[in-house]
Amino acid sequence: MTVARSLFIPLVLFLVIAFLIGPFLIIVAASFSAGETLAFPPQGFSLRWIAKVFTVESFRASFGMSMFLAIGGTLAALVLGIPASYALSRYKLPGAEIVRTIVSAPIIVPGIIVGLALLRYIVVPFQIGITLALFMAHTALILPYAVRVVSASLENLRSDIEEAAVLLGSSRLGAFFRVVMPNIRGGILSAFILGFVTSFNQVPVSLFLSGPGVRTMPIDMIAYMEIVFDPSVAALSSLLALMSIGIVFAAERFLGFSRYV
Amino acid sequence: MFQNRAEALALALPAAIFAAAVFLVPVVILLSDGFRNPAGGWTISAYIDFFSSPLNQAVFLRTLKLGALVTVVSAVIGYAAAFAIVNLEPGMKGKVTGLVVLPLMISPVARTYAWIVILGRTGIVNQAFQALGISDVPLRILFSETAIFIGLLQLFLPLMIISLISALENMPKDAVPAARVLGANWFQVFWKVILPLTKEGLVVGGTLVFTGCLTAYITPAILGGSKVLMLETLMYQQVSVSNNFVAASVIAFILIVMSFAANILLKRVATARNKQRRAAA
Amino acid sequence: MNATMQKAILASGTALMLTMGAAQAFAQEKTLTISVYALAQDEYKQLVYDPFEKICGCKLVVETGNSVERLAKMEANKANPVIDMAVVSMADALAASRAGLIDKIDTSKLANFNKLYDVAKDPNKDGMSVGYTFYATSIAYRSDKMKIESWADLLKPEYASHIAWPNVTTNQGPPALYMLGQALGKDTPDLKAAIEAVGGKKDEIVTFYEKSSQLVQLMKQEEIWAAPIGRFTWAPFTKLGLPVAWATPKEGQTGGMNVMIMPKGGKKSELALQFMDFWLSTDIQKALAEKFVDSPANKDVKVSDEIANNLTYGEETAKSLKLIPSATALDQRAGWVKSWNEKVGQ
Repeated sequence: MTVARSLFIPLVLFLVIAFLIGPFLIIVAASFSAGETLAFPPQGFSLRWIAKVFTVESFRASFGMSMFLAIGGTLAALVLGIPASYALSRYKLPGAEIVRTIVSAPIIVPGIIVGLALLRYIVVPFQIGITLALFMAHTALILPYAVRVVSASLENLRSDIEEAAVLLGSSRLGAFFRVVMPNIRGGILSAFILGFVTSFNQVPVSLFLSGPGVRTMPIDMIAYMEIVFDPSVAALSSLLALMSIGIVFAAERFLGFSRYV
Repeated sequence: MFQNRAEALALALPAAIFAAAVFLVPVVILLSDGFRNPAGGWTISAYIDFFSSPLNQAVFLRTLKLGALVTVVSAVIGYAAAFAIVNLEPGMKGKVTGLVVLPLMISPVARTYAWIVILGRTGIVNQAFQALGISDVPLRILFSETAIFIGLLQLFLPLMIISLISALENMPKDAVPAARVLGANWFQVFWKVILPLTKEGLVVGGTLVFTGCLTAYITPAILGGSKVLMLETLMYQQVSVSNNFVAASVIAFILIVMSFAANILLKRVATARNKQRRAAA
Repeated sequence: MNATMQKAILASGTALMLTMGAAQAFAQEKTLTISVYALAQDEYKQLVYDPFEKICGCKLVVETGNSVERLAKMEANKANPVIDMAVVSMADALAASRAGLIDKIDTSKLANFNKLYDVAKDPNKDGMSVGYTFYATSIAYRSDKMKIESWADLLKPEYASHIAWPNVTTNQGPPALYMLGQALGKDTPDLKAAIEAVGGKKDEIVTFYEKSSQLVQLMKQEEIWAAPIGRFTWAPFTKLGLPVAWATPKEGQTGGMNVMIMPKGGKKSELALQFMDFWLSTDIQKALAEKFVDSPANKDVKVSDEIANNLTYGEETAKSLKLIPSATALDQRAGWVKSWNEKVGQ
């Protein structure tokens, strides 16, 4: 039994991790290929596809768009979500369950429906720009994560310290910024990272929300792949993954990100 | 607990109003579209039309089948992996968990793209099969349900593993050894001890995986194509090729019903097992 | 509610508005928005867009995608068109015209109009479109693995499991079915016989493709040996280092013409016409031909034999293509899709 168990654990882990990480490693390897198409093992070694990523103009534009959506959308979701989480965890809120359901609904409904609904009933009738629509959609999409993660860290924080601060003469807002905020900083940052990654990799919501000159990075990658099947998309994927991993690693290193998620 | 209602509402309402305006209202209008007739009355004729097409029936059943299959298989693998991970020493545990989470940071576009190379006729899977003598000729895996299944499993397995890790960690430490001492075999331990104690994690993970399968667009689009449609790719086709928004609304409603139904069903299964346990005790 | 709390809410509201405002503040300068096929955008940018931006002092905003998807978007934005000109297939142009999405083109403002081949001047005979390029559709195939002499050869038992066939919803789908019908000796406009023949092989056929670019990868991986394609996607196949040939089936080649259209209610028709004229001019058409991007519709364009061989060059060639008339395509489309879904889709 012990022998079987000592074999079982590494074997299971090896297989599962190979299955989960393997495809990514193949993409990374393919980024350094010298050949014309995506292939594994890669044909020769070159940096030409990595270099090409930086010369494709639409990649630069869509990267900027996705960055804007991921950062702006997450900030907006936090601006909306932190007060809401605070109200949910510290106040006797009338209809708390309804509020909780509404703000977390976007996570349950398939993204492709959200995108289509926005296009049909917000973008077209109100004639708002695609960029604004994308911004609103991504904010709505990140909101559930923001509320969930921030609520979790508020739950872990005892509420009597801010009550004490208020009793000692601090305003409610002052108590929030001086006592609560410093203590849930990690939670907020985790929510930010989670929101950023979710938004940046989001495909279905953005699928219908593209317009002339406006495309998110993943949609642009799909569009590019529809035209050219060269390894530059692999190279781009590797670079983006490196960026996400870097951010998460730094967050884990300095803040213990995984405690909050 | 603060009692001031006005303050509480002022804090919570902006988020709720925003989510309702941007999300809830448009989605509800979209869903209601499928129940309207041209005269403005209510009807379910769009649903009858939809389900009377053999193509749509096939696509619906395929979506249901693949979603269920991916959920069940990810639960089986997920338990094995999560059990292995929680039994690692603390330092190792963090690193391995990191590796499991890692794919979630990578664009699903890239992850799906890789499978075209891996599952192709000249890809490593076929090379391995031929080298091992499993098959003489290259198997055709791309553009099949198998390809979609593999792609979806890889996409959502991490969610299941993470849900189960936290469930297993919250389990009383001595539950398993106690059962073993009392003479239970591993099958009994899993069925009578681990499963009931981790059912919440299973429900969360299962819902995430199943809903994920209903939401993923890019995986069925690339690995299945128009030959192996799923509801989400069919919906995209209805909108972008046929301009048929009523059909799209019908599909949207079906997808939402499916994800809610899955959630309820999973909760049911979990509580049913719980009751059994209580009855046995 | 206390004052500080109110201020905080106000401040967060303002912050939100600001971020939204920033999103809106894009692209306020003079722009021309065009909607084109996604192919060869690097070449277009270099040969067409950049030079035109210099001439007009404006900025080109480019939307890319396939013809059908972009048409669906035009339909969605009917009330408030976001694009100023588009290029689509001939049949889609007629569809747009029937749906009331486009305006007549004032060809008197196009200095290069009279240089066009006659077939390109008014392809749908309604004054709503101008052809800028045409292409042949035939079969790209591995000459070491198979021999293609007829469109029907693709469905031979030994070949069928190595081919990709265009989905009926793509621009290449109906022409390929049309030629298959000819090969089978049953070329009715409803394409019934051809669709049935493809349906009979649906389990063998590797995929019913929607994006022709994918075929290059599939050919490279030996997933497929052959597929009907438009000549405009031919170039990448020649770079694979595999013996890929362009078939000349005995039934002939089919093809299509791509045309320029202008949405109804577009606010920048003058600028759009200027751009169209620029695109149709001899120099630009020649430059595009020399890069194998588009076969010229301008008869003043003269290219070397080597280049002509890689294109669908000259009026004679254009006339020899067996095209489905736009009206037939449009009237039959729903029926084709229906019988396709019945015979092939499931």
